[in-house]
This record gives sequence, structure tokens and C-alpha cells, in this order.
Amino acid sequence: MQEQGTIRLFKRGPTAEFRLLVLAFVALAMMVVDSRWTVLEPARQVISIGLYPFQRLMMAPRDAFETFNEWVDAASLASTEKEALQRQRIELAQLATHAAQLAEENQQLRRLLSVGEMAPQSSVAVEVLYEPPNAFTHHLVFNKGSSDGIAPGMPVIDEGGVVGQVVRVTPFTSEAALLTDEKVSIPVQVLRNGLRLIAFGGNVAGKVEGRYLTAEADIVPGATLITRGLGGVFPAGLPVAVVEGIIHDTATGFAVAVGTPLSHPERYRHFLVLRVDTSTQPSYEELTGSASNE
Amino acid sequence: MSSKPANAGRVRSSLSALEPIDASAFGRPSHPVFIWASLILVWLISLLPWRLWEPAPDLLLLVIAFWSLNEPRRVGMFTAFCFGLIMDVHDAGFLGEQALLYTLVAFGAACLTRRLQRFSPLAQPIHMLPIMVGAEIIVRVMHAWLAGQCAGWAWIGSVLLTVALWPLAEILLHLPKRGQDEIDSGAA
Repeated sequence: MQEQGTIRLFKRGPTAEFRLLVLAFVALAMMVVDSRWTVLEPARQVISIGLYPFQRLMMAPRDAFETFNEWVDAASLASTEKEALQRQRIELAQLATHAAQLAEENQQLRRLLSVGEMAPQSSVAVEVLYEPPNAFTHHLVFNKGSSDGIAPGMPVIDEGGVVGQVVRVTPFTSEAALLTDEKVSIPVQVLRNGLRLIAFGGNVAGKVEGRYLTAEADIVPGATLITRGLGGVFPAGLPVAVVEGIIHDTATGFAVAVGTPLSHPERYRHFLVLRVDTSTQPSYEELTGSASNE
Repeated sequence: MSSKPANAGRVRSSLSALEPIDASAFGRPSHPVFIWASLILVWLISLLPWRLWEPAPDLLLLVIAFWSLNEPRRVGMFTAFCFGLIMDVHDAGFLGEQALLYTLVAFGAACLTRRLQRFSPLAQPIHMLPIMVGAEIIVRVMHAWLAGQCAGWAWIGSVLLTVALWPLAEILLHLPKRGQDEIDSGAA
């Protein structure tokens, strides 16, 4: 009776310990859920959309500087590029006629064998927005997202070959895991003899690994690995890596081929995302779920 | 009247659970606009790519810890949690990772607020170091458990640098307040 009538002299909110407990529990729950499932993806998208203008705002001086730099260098850049291109054109002219001949022949043979014709791949050119400062993953964030038709699972390439795979998409940005990220694995084959293997992101930074090779596997340093097109995500024939060395692990009995990627995600800002049909592909949930359960 | 002693006992026991309405220190508080402006500015700076350098100091954590210590009624655990969550999205890490780190540090700073306001800006970071290291260890262990990869020790450098910048934060973030204090003392 007395307590109801008294004036509130003191503030009675939840104590600091209680608030800490609630917030820490929420944070821990989010960490666990986010590392195992993709339930929190919508929340991430909402924050990401809100964050995007600020990211662009902060990157604006850098972009402006680069535009200015390119503009100033335009003349010299154009002349050096023209020389290089002319040289390349002469070199490629011969190859092109040869390739056209082969393509024609290939088409004819495919028709003869009634093998389905390969559909041409549509693609989107993207630019690196920023590299997330995360010590555990090798990711890049690009400036285009699902509004440009990018979906999780699509391969990212540059002129050297495969760069990585899109793992997460928001309406305006997309995040790609590089080849060297340990969660990415690509079915490849050796260009020389067609030996099939799977390239994993390496334990060594900046390398890819072909694991579980038997002792008699015919693979030598210098061999080029190309995508083999199985699985449907990566189109066949894209260069992936050059084998540097074979490490024989006496503990497991398997050999590991260590390779250097042929693409250079650290050097350039422009990449191409191939818009493959990802509707039949496993979702990001399955991709990362299977990776994290390993 | 006969029930008075029993009532007094109950009042005394409930008194210990009460907090005074105004628990702020005897001093001029920093302007809320300045507090929020500094937080947002440092947050924007944290979006830039300089944090790719592994032992880079976490300026946002520093400013959040500083304000949780000096203005615990303005900047608290919830603010820290929200900023941490935004940085998680930016860094493409697990959601909640930096949110947990920032919340723990903000709580540690808020706990020490009474004690540390009596220490000099050079002694304050020595108290903050174990809080930040402890919070980092909790987060790193959680990450190692969930992702199956160990963080290494590069983050120790980051924490040391963050703490080392404390006196600078004290100078910069208390600049407007000090100016006001000097004007007041001059007038007196």
C-alpha cells in the first residue's frame, strides 16, 4: 500500500548486467545461427542496403581520384594500349581463323552426333567496391547485385581465368569468394591429359590445391588446370591455375597438387560475372552448409 | 505503528537495489550532438579500406569504449551492439561477432566508469587493456569454435594500438568540453 503511493525518486530500469546478458545472448545466438544457416540473410540484406550509400560515399574520393587519374593519363594510356592491342591482333588473327575453322567443324560434328549446342553465356561486368577486412575469408564485394541479375553461385572471371564464385547477393552489391578461399571448390581437369580433380582453396594463402591424388596420378608441375564443366556452375574450359608442385603426404598416402591461380583478383578492379543458370544449382545454404559441416 | 520495524527492514533491503536518477559525475557532460557526430564520423572512417592491415587499431571500438566510460548515460551497450552489427555486415563476417565484442567492451567500460574517472588519461588505457583483451578472447574463441579456424595473434597488436590511442582520443573527444571549462573558469 505504501509503495504504490510513494513518489518515484529512483530510476528502476533493467540493470546493466541484465542488459549485457540479453545483448550477449542475442549476439551469440546470431553468431551460431549465421554460421550454420541462412535464416539471418534478410536481416543482413536490410542492413546492407542501408549501409550501401555510406559505403559509396566513403569510397567516392577514391573513385573520383581514379577517374581523374585515368582522365589525365588518357592519351598515353591509349597509345600504349593501342600498340599492345595491335600486336595482339596480329598474333590473334591466325589463331582466330584456326579457331573459327575448328568451331565450324565442331558444330558440324555436334550436329552429326546430335549433341545439344552450347548456349552462349551472358555476363555482367562488375567493379570491386571494397575488400572486406576479414582475416578468415578471401572475399571481394562488387558494385552490382541482384538488380543486375547476379545470383549466388555464379562464377566470376577475369582475363586470366576463374577468379571465384558469388556467394552472397544484395540488391546493389554482391560478394564473391575467391578461388583461394577455403570454402570454394571447383571441378577441374588437367589440360594436357584430361585428368579430373577438384581444386580447393589452399591452406597456403594465395594457392589452390588438388587433393587426394593417388601416387600414379599423371600430373606434373607446370600443368594447366581448366574447369571441366561438370556440375554446371562453371562453364568448361576456363583456365583456373598452374600446378607448381606435387607434395606427397606419407601420413595419408595421397599427394596434393599445389597450384597458383591464373587470375589476378588483387591487381584489377573489373571482373565479369557469368550469368549461368543457377536455378538448378545448390543454394548458398547447401553450399556453405556442406562446407561448414565438413 | 506496530508494523514499523518490519517495514523498515523491507525498505532497507530494497534500497540497495535502487539507482539514483542522476548518477552522472560532478562535471559538465559532453554535448550529445558532439558525441553522436564523433561516433558517426569514426564509423564512416571505419568503412575505408585501411583496416585491411591486420594490426590496424579499431577506432570505432576505441570511441565507443571512450564514450561508454565518460558518458555512460548517452552511449551504452545497445549503441555498441548496433554499431557492431553494422560492422559485421560491412566486414562480411558472422552476424553478431563484433556486436558481441563491442557490447562486452562497453559493459566493461560502464562498470569501471566511477573508478576510472579518478584516473588520468594515461592510466585509463591500462585499465581498459584487460577488458578489451578479455572481450576479444571470448569473441575469437567463439569464432574458432564456429568456423573451425584459429585467429592467430595478430589481433593483439590491434588491441594494443587501440589502447595506445586512448590518450589521443581523450585529447580530441574532450576538446570542446575543455574549451567550455576554460571559458567558465575564466569567467569565475
